Amino acid sequence: MKQNDFVATVLPFKDKLYRLAKRILVSSDEAEDAVQEVYLKLWKGKQRMENYKSLEAFAMTMTKNYCLDRLKSKQASNLKIVHSNYKNDENLDRQIDVKDGVSLVFKIMETLPEKQRIILQLRDVEAFEYSEISKILEINETAIRVALSRARKTVREQLIKKHKYGIS
Amino acid sequence: MELAKIERLLEAYFEGNTSLEEEKLLRKYFTSDAVAPQFKVYKPLFESYAIAQEEVSKRELIVSNRNMPFSKLWRYGIAASIAAVGLITLLMFSSLSLSQDEEAALAAFNESKKAMLLLADNFNNGAEQLALLNQFTESKNSILK
Repeated sequence: MKQNDFVATVLPFKDKLYRLAKRILVSSDEAEDAVQEVYLKLWKGKQRMENYKSLEAFAMTMTKNYCLDRLKSKQASNLKIVHSNYKNDENLDRQIDVKDGVSLVFKIMETLPEKQRIILQLRDVEAFEYSEISKILEINETAIRVALSRARKTVREQLIKKHKYGIS
Repeated sequence: MELAKIERLLEAYFEGNTSLEEEKLLRKYFTSDAVAPQFKVYKPLFESYAIAQEEVSKRELIVSNRNMPFSKLWRYGIAASIAAVGLITLLMFSSLSLSQDEEAALAAFNESKKAMLLLADNFNNGAEQLALLNQFTESKNSILK
């Protein structure tokens, strides 16, 4: 496979990988690095690429695994406190024009457990089918539905709670 | 869209029982301006997801550039490491011979210092003997006067 073919095959889902990486790692710089790393790995293993049924799903899995690893090594080196401070800054100067309620939802999403966050990202943001999510995460569909429902309910609860306080 | 349907869809949504089409309907309804007051609370939810989907990676993909001259890169790496190793050994050798020189110089310095001290000691001895000589001349003078 030549460079051009490779780029043409993998470029369409670059933004999806980026958004998934950002959902897990929060920092956009880290997410860009992760995407770069995943593509490098894909390029190295390009001989095997024809064997995968869905390259996109495969790349998503790689991104997820890579980001979770990054997160683990970060927590291991005690960078978590710095990271959570960073989260707030990130939200304050988010480049998209966001209203209070919307940035609140992003904040709530960041508090979800990683698995739920990933599933919410894949389903509610990227609109993947359950079967695709199941392939990407290597979890069965029932477990995905359960986690998704839990995540959606948590977000709703938090949102209503904040709404009652009159913040949003 | 009638409110009853929205309500039913919302309920199913939170249970994880909606299809992608139904979720698309929900998103369309909640990102529109015509959201009924009792559902307003859910508006930011679907708006956020819609906004989140529009986010794009801003960094250029450099995989191909970084990889094209991969064998070349390897060669450069090897050449660089050989050069580094050579430089380090050269440095080590030069510093080693320098220290040998220094050691010899130090030994010579210590030797000569020892010799000087010996000389000084003997001089002192001689000075003491001279004092005796003075006494001798003194007593000789007193006798001969």
